[in-house]
Amino acid sequence: MDAKKNSPKGRQLREVKTKQMEGQDLESVIERAQGHDAEALGEIHRRYVRRVFGLCRYMLDSRESAEDATSEVFLKLQRSIKSYNSSIPFPRWLLRVAGNQCIDVLRRRRRGQQVIVEVEDGAAVIEATSAEPSPLGTVIRMEERVQLQAAIARLPENYRVPLVLRYYTELSYDEIGQQLGVPRNHVATLIFRAKQELRRKLPHRSK
Amino acid sequence: MECYSEQTCAIFVDGELTVDEARHLRDHLVTCQRCRDLVDALRAENRVLSESLRELPEEAASPEAPSRLRLSWVWGDLALMAAVLALNAIVFVWIDQLEIPGELEWFNPFSLSGFTNLMFNLSYYFSHGGTAMLTEYAAVVGGLFLLLLLGGSALLLGRRGRLRLPGLRLLIVLLTLSLSGFAMERRHGEFVTVPASETVDDTLLATGNTVRVEGVVNGDLLVFSGTLEVHGTVKGDLVSFAKRTVVSGSVEGHIYNFSQSFDLDGQLGHSIYGWARSWRVDNRGHVGDGIVVVAGDFILEGEVKRSVTIFTSNADVSGSIGRELTMAGGSLTLTNAARVGGNLSARVRQLKDVHIADGATIGGNRDIQVRARKSQFTRSGFYFRQAVWLASAMLVGWLGLVLFPGFVQASTQSVGSGWRSLGLGVAVLAGAPVAIVVTAITLVGIPLALMLFAAYLASIYLAKIWVGAFLGRILLRPAGATKHDWLLGLLLGLSILTMVGFIPYLGGLVHFGMVCLGLGAFAWQLYHASRPATMA
Repeated sequence: MDAKKNSPKGRQLREVKTKQMEGQDLESVIERAQGHDAEALGEIHRRYVRRVFGLCRYMLDSRESAEDATSEVFLKLQRSIKSYNSSIPFPRWLLRVAGNQCIDVLRRRRRGQQVIVEVEDGAAVIEATSAEPSPLGTVIRMEERVQLQAAIARLPENYRVPLVLRYYTELSYDEIGQQLGVPRNHVATLIFRAKQELRRKLPHRSK
Repeated sequence: MECYSEQTCAIFVDGELTVDEARHLRDHLVTCQRCRDLVDALRAENRVLSESLRELPEEAASPEAPSRLRLSWVWGDLALMAAVLALNAIVFVWIDQLEIPGELEWFNPFSLSGFTNLMFNLSYYFSHGGTAMLTEYAAVVGGLFLLLLLGGSALLLGRRGRLRLPGLRLLIVLLTLSLSGFAMERRHGEFVTVPASETVDDTLLATGNTVRVEGVVNGDLLVFSGTLEVHGTVKGDLVSFAKRTVVSGSVEGHIYNFSQSFDLDGQLGHSIYGWARSWRVDNRGHVGDGIVVVAGDFILEGEVKRSVTIFTSNADVSGSIGRELTMAGGSLTLTNAARVGGNLSARVRQLKDVHIADGATIGGNRDIQVRARKSQFTRSGFYFRQAVWLASAMLVGWLGLVLFPGFVQASTQSVGSGWRSLGLGVAVLAGAPVAIVVTAITLVGIPLALMLFAAYLASIYLAKIWVGAFLGRILLRPAGATKHDWLLGLLLGLSILTMVGFIPYLGGLVHFGMVCLGLGAFAWQLYHASRPATMA
């Protein structure tokens, strides 16, 4: 009898709740999540799991590690969401947390060493010579985007991590520097070299 | 004025130059076409990068869909296990629908506890058959697995195009057993021990009452025994058919376990698969991958790195699961200490069977679905299944009629002998499992026991056909005894029986009576058929 009563009612209730959640603005969802509301945390998971996973996938070398890291981010979120204040947009904050998680993973793999090793010639400015490939073109077709994504995934960790943090999470050089524990000018160099490396890998896109 | 370097321009485009530097560069841009072009190109490049990155890699398309995420890594294994369990599941569902009253549950060899016990008992008796018998058995099992894998692979090829390795490895382990010349260490005895000082370099096959591993096994470990204790290290996979399995050491591969009870107290490198009456991962237990099991009771206190998929009557989780927890069955309890990294999905009969403590941590969504028994009538799939069932029963009946017309007609007729069929049926239903187990004890009995078991299942299936045909015949009272009349009678009889079967309590009783009647009639007719003189 109980089952009979509970089942449709419970399902309806859930559906109604989900619909309510979808309509709710992010602020109130976050507020409720900060109060340990499981539904709200679930909603945040639903909304952002793809973006977080995407970041982890770019930062880490395998799908499995990315899945692990994503799970870990949302687990920790239940505690860490309390520390979120609306000084920066929530998605950005969340991606920063996720970025940190990935860096932790990479660091653990290197047994605590820095993820980004020193740039050989420091922050030396690389002159744009005619031999260097030029920036990637403006128009890029779908399949070429896929190629570009693959090329990013194949970049050495040294270049890939700062590049992804900059253009996926839109962190500033300073923030990236803080996360990786390297000076700001190294970040600039690494990102610059990452782009050059990409241009080399995708020569036909260079003008 | 000298042009700026490309890197400086890139930093400028990223908005990361200091205010002064940015102002100087902007001034320079006014006069320098070359740098202006460069800055434009760099801006475009940034846009391309951001856009491409924002379009997630294909595989990230839906990480939130738990099924896809989970299936991507256990897909092959699940398919394999599903194939192995498919036959059981069909019988399960069917027997389940009988709604046998609680008092008669002991008749039911397919209740979860009854089934795990039966499987354990069978496997336990295999251990007393000696290595030669085991080799034959493994050849049979290996062959079956090969068939299942071939079927499974065909399915998988259509969908994913690849088969996961663990299932394949189990097949290889089992197949190697059937190859007589394979380099493998075999040990048999009352007590088989690998002492702490010993290292076994090959795959070890151990049969005995108690098997204890304290040393190192570099290959796989295969055990048929009463008790198995692993305190040492197994570098490969562990396949256990022991009554009680305890792993407090470490297993670096997978564990395939078919025991009455299983206890993991140590370290496991990869996953656990199998079924058992009771599963327990202690608080010191660590599973490097996931768990996919069928269990009577399931207790998790330790840590599982990836997903847990359980079909159980009672699950109690106070440990940590890295990813999804998927559960179907009786009840689920998550204590305050429980931690689930991904989504929690549970399929239970009643909402009150799920207890999630306030302190339990769940990283993803909670999806708890109530599968009320009676709601089956509202699902179209139910009617489809019934139609398929009816059609297949008709097909089987027709085939029987074409191949053995006399026997089928006679079996139908002998249902009419009432009490004789009923009594004989009860005896067969209860006695056959005992006979199967007893047969399995003898040296030559194992293949025979397996055949008997298959015949037993087939007979239960056929029972409904005899009774259905008989009922139809009574109702229609056909003038002759043509095939057409018999089939029409069968259709009517089966339809009535199926419908009556859904009446609560009464339906269960009718089903039970029907199985007994049909079994009795079938057994009686088989007995007669074995004596040609009487047949004539």
